[in-house]
Amino acid sequence: MPMSDTPKPVTPSGALVLLILRVLQSGSLHGYAIAQRIHILSSEVLAVEEGLLYPTLQKMLVKGWVTAEWGISETNRKVRCYCITPEGRRQLEAELSDYDRVTQAIQEVLRTA
Amino acid sequence: MGELFRRIQYLLNRRQLDRELENDMQFHREMAAAAGRSNFGNTLRMREQAREAWGWTWLDRLIQDLHYAVRILARSPGFTFIAVLVLAIGIGVNVAAFTVFDAVALKPLPVRDPGSLVRLERRSPTAYTDGAPYTSLLFYQKNAKTLSAVMGVMGVPPMQVDQDIEHANASFVTANYFTELGTPAALGRLFDPTREGDPNTAPSVVISYGFWQRRFGGDTSAVGRTVHIDGKPATILGVLPYAFASLGGQGPDIWLPILQQPYFVAGSHTLTDPGDSAIRLWGRLAPGVSAKTSAQELRALTNELRRQHPNDIWDNEYISISPGGHMQVMQPEQYEVVAMVAVLTLLILAVACANLGGLMLARAVTREREIGIRVAIGANRARIFRQLCTESLLLAMLGAVAGLGLGCTVIQIALTQLDAPNKWASAVPDWRVLLFTVAVMFAAAVFFGFMPALQIARQRQHKTIARQILVGAQVAASCVLLIVAGLLVRATQHALYTDPGFGYQRMLSIDPYLGHHGYSPAAAQAFFDQMQARLRATPGVLSVSLVKLPPLGHEVDRETTEIAGHKVFVYPNWVEPGFFQTMNIPILLGRTFYPREKNAVIVSRSFARQQWPNQNPLGQRLGDDAATKSTVVGVVGDAHINALSDSDATEQYWSAQLDDLPDMVLLARTASATDSLPPIAKSISENLDPKIFPEIRSLKLLYHDNVSGIEKAAMAVSFIGIVAVMVAGIGIIGLVAFTVSQRTKEIAIRIALGAKRAQVLAAVLRQFTWPVAIGLVSGAGFAAAASRILRRALYGISNFDPAGYALAIVVLLAIIGLAALLPARRALRLDLAKTLHYE
Repeated sequence: MPMSDTPKPVTPSGALVLLILRVLQSGSLHGYAIAQRIHILSSEVLAVEEGLLYPTLQKMLVKGWVTAEWGISETNRKVRCYCITPEGRRQLEAELSDYDRVTQAIQEVLRTA
Repeated sequence: MGELFRRIQYLLNRRQLDRELENDMQFHREMAAAAGRSNFGNTLRMREQAREAWGWTWLDRLIQDLHYAVRILARSPGFTFIAVLVLAIGIGVNVAAFTVFDAVALKPLPVRDPGSLVRLERRSPTAYTDGAPYTSLLFYQKNAKTLSAVMGVMGVPPMQVDQDIEHANASFVTANYFTELGTPAALGRLFDPTREGDPNTAPSVVISYGFWQRRFGGDTSAVGRTVHIDGKPATILGVLPYAFASLGGQGPDIWLPILQQPYFVAGSHTLTDPGDSAIRLWGRLAPGVSAKTSAQELRALTNELRRQHPNDIWDNEYISISPGGHMQVMQPEQYEVVAMVAVLTLLILAVACANLGGLMLARAVTREREIGIRVAIGANRARIFRQLCTESLLLAMLGAVAGLGLGCTVIQIALTQLDAPNKWASAVPDWRVLLFTVAVMFAAAVFFGFMPALQIARQRQHKTIARQILVGAQVAASCVLLIVAGLLVRATQHALYTDPGFGYQRMLSIDPYLGHHGYSPAAAQAFFDQMQARLRATPGVLSVSLVKLPPLGHEVDRETTEIAGHKVFVYPNWVEPGFFQTMNIPILLGRTFYPREKNAVIVSRSFARQQWPNQNPLGQRLGDDAATKSTVVGVVGDAHINALSDSDATEQYWSAQLDDLPDMVLLARTASATDSLPPIAKSISENLDPKIFPEIRSLKLLYHDNVSGIEKAAMAVSFIGIVAVMVAGIGIIGLVAFTVSQRTKEIAIRIALGAKRAQVLAAVLRQFTWPVAIGLVSGAGFAAAASRILRRALYGISNFDPAGYALAIVVLLAIIGLAALLPARRALRLDLAKTLHYE
């Protein structure tokens, strides 16, 4: 697996939740796969660290945005897979529009300042 | 809501979920390793961080802290025992006091729908009475739409059942009384509005459970029997349940239907006279009606009533409505007493807490090493502070449980000992008492735990200031308690061992209640003349006289006047000329009245002294308008015949007029014991008028009853005061012992260098001098301020009684001194060589 020189850690809080929700939208994934998917989709720019991923997932579980169920990994191992809930979808939409608003605002500032 | 639910699920399945999380991370690591990455963090720490998302970390810590606290407390059982004991006393006293308050003022009566019961009282801006005329009751009952029912109770003088020597307490009630309360009969039936609501129904009586047991031995055939009440036959309808809850906490032996009152009390006009306010009113609010709405309607009705009876309804009179579904409807004056008791009991808690705080601080020094190690391995101050607070909370919990048990036991004992009339009252705590206990527990934990914990967490346990504050607080609080106890003890002694100013030893009061039987003044005069003549002729009777308000009677009249800027209570009375001789009240100046003398007054010595200092009171004038303007014809000795407890009471006597006679009471003094006189007096009265059933009471018994009540209160307060002082003593012993042990080396060096023992002692104890002095002064000041309220309870003792204060302060100083010297002596017996070689 090719490794970029400096994979940037994802900034905590909002962004990671948004990314996780987004990658889970297309189907349930286990923890490692979530990290991988984000890493690959970001063209290997973003790296999700284990130490941040699991606390975030736990928080999302408690919030009810995702649920966990047992699945079998590609290596044939019993592992928990996370899938998005209707509530999670609503949260994703809200966060997306939030994100759009903020980036637009930042763009605006960058353009006009 | 959903989130909370999930959180709780996480809490319940935390082990399994933790394993699953571990599995997740394990898998992650395997995959990462396979992909050639191996920079994992500390897995345990990561898992902890992940778990924090569940939001239960505080609980984990709390459990950890509790485990630790249990271990710490178990390791020093002596300290734990003392601490829990001290707290149990402090909390138990408060729980007991609150339980009483709860039962009296908060707990709803066990009757049907207690929330809608209201007490109706006549008030105007300037007047108040707890009774209303029966005619008003009927009017309100008929016209008030906001009340679904109006109930009336009329207490009457004790009545004679058959030939019993001891009269039974009796009340007349409206026929709807028991049905409105939803009271089931224990036996037979109770009054029924459809039957006893008709004055022509056969006369009937309902008896209390206690009376049924006492008089009929619990015989079920008592129901249906005919008894004679004041000579009138009546059928016993039924028996009230054992735990019957009455309105206003009344517990008479016999209950009679109010419509039959004219039958039982021959000649009475109570039911028809709109000026006779003899009936206490209660109501039930109609469904959905607020007390305010009802008050408005009643005000309008009262105005209408005034138009009908302009002489009997006051100007601006209205009916005040207060919640009636409790044992007692609290009056503002009663809250004063409640506040006083609350302050005293909270002081005990304060002593207990200050004490425990001192012990905790002292213990902290011995725990220095342990806490030092915990800080060294990375615990921060906040964490140590939290740990110490958890420990305090655990102690407070143990203390609260023990205190709850103690308080309830005390109440249980009191209930059985005092044989309270309200059998439904129980010592089992209800939710209000439990809530109160929890609140007190937290308050106590903060009081005794917070400051020490702060000091310890900042590693300042060697600072003396915290200890000094605690000692000062303890001394001040114990000082207040001891002074109050001292005053009460002195007051009791005064009441017990001083002459009340009148003869009560061989004295009977004989009240025929002529007015209740519709006697005219002339008829009353004839009756009394006969009765007095025959009594005088009875061997052993020394003196007979008449008085309107008999000593220790049911009725007390009190007026307030201001003399030279300070308030004086005046107790007026209306007497026959022979009264002073019969009562053994000395005539100090002047003479007694002439019969039916007008515009003459006799005053007590205190009154004369205050009103006309250094002047001859004889010939002075009292009263402003022509009708009452009177000349002082005599001065008599102080005799607080109706105010044993009021040392400031003064008396004014007026000569009884003809119109007073129906309300007069006979007094008879005998040469030897009074036992043989009551039957004789009874037969004389029966001979004169068989309708009359005089109430005969021995003044000696009344006097002792009166005094023993105060004696009990004084004993309870003294006991509490002594407990508080003991607790304070234990605390001071602990603190001084600790100070000595802390300064062993210094003391040894001083002694080795030749210091005198007294100097050494002084050096050790000096740090406590100021706190003790400040505590004593502020305590005495507070007691002086607070005991103003107690004044009325203090039998003949001023609330600034110097002996009471001095006694309390001396006792307290002695105990403090003892508590300080006992452990300090250790300092003088030090083995110098050993101490100095140590280290």
